[in-house]
Amino acid sequence: MRLLNLIASGLLAATLLLAACSDPQEDPAVDNSSARFSVAQLLGGGNTEGYVRAYAPRPFVFPADHGPHPGYRQEWWYFTGNLATPEGRRFGFQLTFFRTALTPAPAARASAWATNQAYMAHFTLSDIDAGRFHAFERFSRAALGLAGASVQPFRVWLEDWSAQGTGDDAALPMRLRAAQDGVAIDLSLDSLKPPVLQGDRGLSQKGPAPGNASYYYSLTRMPTHGTVRIGSRSFPVEGLSWMDREWSTSALSGDQVGWDWFALQLSDGRELMFYQMRRRDGSADPFSSGVLVQAEGASRRLALQEVELRVAGHWQSPRSGARYPSRWTIRIPAEELELEVVPHLAGQELDLAVRYWEGAVQVRGNAQGRPVTGQGYVELTGYD
Amino acid sequence: MILRRASLRYFLRHPWQAMLSVLGVAIGVAVVAAVDLANESARRAFVLSIESLSGPVTHQIVGGPNGVPETLYRTLRIEAGARAAMPVLEGHAAAPQHGRRSLRIVGVDPFAGNVAGPYLPTAQSGIDLRRLLVEPATGLLARATAQRLGLALQDRLHLEIRGAPVTLTVVGLLDPDNETTRQALADTLIVDIATAQELLGAQGRLSRIDLIVPEGTAGASLLERIRAVLPSGVELVPAQTRAASMTEMTRAFQLNLNALSLLALIVGAFLIYNTMTFSVVQRRPLIGTLRTLGVTRREVFALVLGEALLIGAAGTALGLGLGLVLADGLLGLVTRTIDDLYFNLTVSKLTIAPASLAKSLVLGLGATVLAALAPAREATHAPPVTVLSRSSVETQAHRRRPWLAGAGAAAMLLGAALLLIPSKALPLSYAGLFAIIIGFALLTPAVTVVLMRVLRPVMGALFGILGRMAARGVVVSLSRTGVAVAALAVAIATTIGMAVMIGSFRATVAHWLDQYMHADIYVSALESTPVNASLDRALVERLATTPGVAAVTTGRYVTIESADGFTELNALSLGPRTHEAFAFKEGDPATLWSELQQEDTVIVSEPYAYHHGLRVGDTVSLRTDRGQRPFRVVGVFYHYGTSQGVVMMDRATYDRYWDDPRIGSLGIYAEPAMQVEALVEALRQRAAGFAPVNIRSNRTLHATSLAIFDRTFAITSVLRALVMLVAFIGILSALMAIQLERARELAVLRANGLTPRQLWGLVSTETGLMGAVAGVLAIPQGLVLALALIFVVNLRSFGWTMQVVVDPMVMVQGLLLAVTAALLAGLYPALRMTRTPPALALRSE
Repeated sequence: MRLLNLIASGLLAATLLLAACSDPQEDPAVDNSSARFSVAQLLGGGNTEGYVRAYAPRPFVFPADHGPHPGYRQEWWYFTGNLATPEGRRFGFQLTFFRTALTPAPAARASAWATNQAYMAHFTLSDIDAGRFHAFERFSRAALGLAGASVQPFRVWLEDWSAQGTGDDAALPMRLRAAQDGVAIDLSLDSLKPPVLQGDRGLSQKGPAPGNASYYYSLTRMPTHGTVRIGSRSFPVEGLSWMDREWSTSALSGDQVGWDWFALQLSDGRELMFYQMRRRDGSADPFSSGVLVQAEGASRRLALQEVELRVAGHWQSPRSGARYPSRWTIRIPAEELELEVVPHLAGQELDLAVRYWEGAVQVRGNAQGRPVTGQGYVELTGYD
Repeated sequence: MILRRASLRYFLRHPWQAMLSVLGVAIGVAVVAAVDLANESARRAFVLSIESLSGPVTHQIVGGPNGVPETLYRTLRIEAGARAAMPVLEGHAAAPQHGRRSLRIVGVDPFAGNVAGPYLPTAQSGIDLRRLLVEPATGLLARATAQRLGLALQDRLHLEIRGAPVTLTVVGLLDPDNETTRQALADTLIVDIATAQELLGAQGRLSRIDLIVPEGTAGASLLERIRAVLPSGVELVPAQTRAASMTEMTRAFQLNLNALSLLALIVGAFLIYNTMTFSVVQRRPLIGTLRTLGVTRREVFALVLGEALLIGAAGTALGLGLGLVLADGLLGLVTRTIDDLYFNLTVSKLTIAPASLAKSLVLGLGATVLAALAPAREATHAPPVTVLSRSSVETQAHRRRPWLAGAGAAAMLLGAALLLIPSKALPLSYAGLFAIIIGFALLTPAVTVVLMRVLRPVMGALFGILGRMAARGVVVSLSRTGVAVAALAVAIATTIGMAVMIGSFRATVAHWLDQYMHADIYVSALESTPVNASLDRALVERLATTPGVAAVTTGRYVTIESADGFTELNALSLGPRTHEAFAFKEGDPATLWSELQQEDTVIVSEPYAYHHGLRVGDTVSLRTDRGQRPFRVVGVFYHYGTSQGVVMMDRATYDRYWDDPRIGSLGIYAEPAMQVEALVEALRQRAAGFAPVNIRSNRTLHATSLAIFDRTFAITSVLRALVMLVAFIGILSALMAIQLERARELAVLRANGLTPRQLWGLVSTETGLMGAVAGVLAIPQGLVLALALIFVVNLRSFGWTMQVVVDPMVMVQGLLLAVTAALLAGLYPALRMTRTPPALALRSE
């Protein structure tokens, strides 16, 4: 469950407006001038008519499905990871490409600038040991080579931020590159496990209405190596990344206000993904769910009632004033799994046109009585 | 206290005098204020449209004839990392159905919103940018513009672009939150960049790319990266430079308007001088009495100056009010001229610049004080005796005459010297011009006496004793009449000078058009944006092969923008008779044509050579698609088409340096037997089915060109009319005052048997004489002014040489104006005298 899923197609238009009033000369990390939209404002109202929708499970074909699905209103390529230098200096990164179809189909037009596809991208670097968090955003139309996605070769890009396949015709290994204002990553990602199909064979239902669902798969354990650059310093790094891919034409039920999402990679070779959508009254939406991926790649769906999520602490953003949960315990009794999840840095809020918290976390706990550690990413939206 | 009462009583008894003075100053100030306000509004609107609209933009990437290739935008963002960059395509459309001559079209990329500045709505506006992006033919308007066009949200906007109708939908109304943005968005249609390319037919091209480059080392290295990816043919220009070079273009024009408006004020100042001098002369006995009562010179001085200041203040206040009204009217004319002469400009409304009002206020009061200084000083010389005979005053005036004449001659010499200083500084030229005017004014009394001496016998022969009396009357009361005549002469001379200048200019242009428009028929592309103004190749072929066409020449008129400003470049295909169209100021016509065809050479127009200090043999550096290249100047030709000047080169030279095979215009020569109008018709039929183009006969284009000339000079003509109005009021007030003051003298004449009819004749002849003298004196003065305007001011402002053409009607008009006003001025005093029994008139004195 990731950011764009809850965002109806109003998102890009809305963020464009916001981008229009931000000052690019300022580091976005300190820019506080943007007018704010609560995420709820971006929800709903999106017209789904004419777009392709996800009604039933479908066969996934790779590498084709790594590429874009322009008939669906929204889609994203979502990379997060925890990295470290040989000396043990730790970093977290996020590189995300969001695609939005502004209309169901492109119109035949003469100008090369004309398109119905728009892209937004976010890039963050958590410099954990320095206690710093860098976040950047970009927008572009998918025209003139400014932004886009393709299958052969696999590539998704927004200007010079990109993820692309380096194999002959396979998506893997992937090379991720992003740089802005002296902060850069250049990483190579492979995958130890086949794609994990989320929900029902990749169909992830988000609400009771038919079609209110997405196609969703993940690469949950991606060994990563490359370099992180901050200013004039370059760091060789290694670690694990996670890729989420989702496309849909879904609209939220008006009752849902946000969500808490966890992607955790455990030291016993397993991964846990769990998201809980929150309703206006604070309760968890029944369509919340998760998946537990075994070390050898098999996965098991987790229903809401199988997972106990408890918030153990909070953090208030000094910039936005929003108050986020900041420490959790997750229990899955059936698996005898009990985990404590703690952010590497409390301040990993993306104070961008769309504001949310997404950050690197560390995990400690027990599995069937044995101690287990881990790392991962948590995403929190809809907090004021 | 007694002083104030005395002065109040005086002006209550002479209300006409004060009122007309107030009016004269008022109109003078009104003209100055109006011109300044209109100028300032035009300038502001323009600066706003390029500076504020570009918002935080620091640099711009500009191109050559083809504009900027759109792919450069991607290169900039991705390879140079220029994150704050925005593509812009600008053009214009006509909106006749909405009563608008021209609407600016600005295409931007909403995704580059951080650079778009005020072009795009804020988050709070609720405008759906999605429609702007994905729906063809959609646009945004400022709410005020929409209202002026009679449009609401979702309404259809009907435009004409390159002669073809286009309908757009208004999908958003912008509500600018400040006045700056409001003005900048006036008459502007904002569209997505894709829509702009489609509307304007400029696929693949941009007008420019706007950039925000931070200061400091980060900015310097970004500029370096940007320069590294720029292809030849485009250039990086700081935004301020660009704004400055565009403002510079109109500077001379606006300065001239300001200076001409000052003429109106000077004439107004003469009125004050006249009124105050007159009031002092009249009150000498009173002032003498006051002095015996212990009133000091300083107090008398303050009294007269205070009175003048009151008149000046009233006139200035009234003038500022009038100026606001007048400015609204002038604004349209100023804008129109800038639009015709320099660049597309729309000004939605008058900006009331406090600085303009303050300037006019200071000028109005300042002129008043200056004008009143001499009379005030004169008043202090009234000796403290109760009676001082008028004759001694007049004697004094006559004694001072040679000195005044000497001072006048000196002022004229100074003025001439100032005009002869070889400098481009316009204020210097105008200082010279004004010195000459003052000199003329100072000389007037002396010349009047001489003229009257000559005229007296003539008048006697014509009208008998009364005629001689009238002529003598003028001379005898020289202390009053001298000033009046001088003021009138200056006013009329000014109008004559302006008229001769305009007439000479027009005649020069008309003559030049005759020669320059050499072909029988002209075909030109209808342009919607400078980057696409060209004729369809197939159409060119088709027109050239039309039966009846003897020969065709082609032209390609482009503007090359660089950090130094804008260069107009015309690439001509030289026909067998092209040389007949050019007259050269410099260069050898016998050899330069072959030079022009062989080497990298150009010919430049006279203003271009003037502005850039070029002579034959110098080189002009132009940014070509092969980079910056030098071109040798082999000739300077007369050309009045653009005040910025134009560089002309052979088409083959152009093709060597620019990748631009397009043709912008055709000159078509008809076969001798062919009727031009019939051929125009045939060509129009052949052009049917292509995008619309202009096909005009030489005669039509000639007339159109002159119509544009007249339009650009409409503002000057209006100023001239206003100066004439001030002059008229001046004559009226001065002469009426003089005659009213003569009540006692005339009563004596009546008592001695002069019939009312004779009295009427005497008064009319006297005022008529004064008017005629002023009119006659104004003619040489006006001609000198015209010469200064033509050979100094105009040449220095625009670099144009003109022939002097004097229309005798202009002189007749000036003379008639003077005499008519003078005769009118005599009406009321004469009427009053004939109605008043002489005894009463004698007693009331």
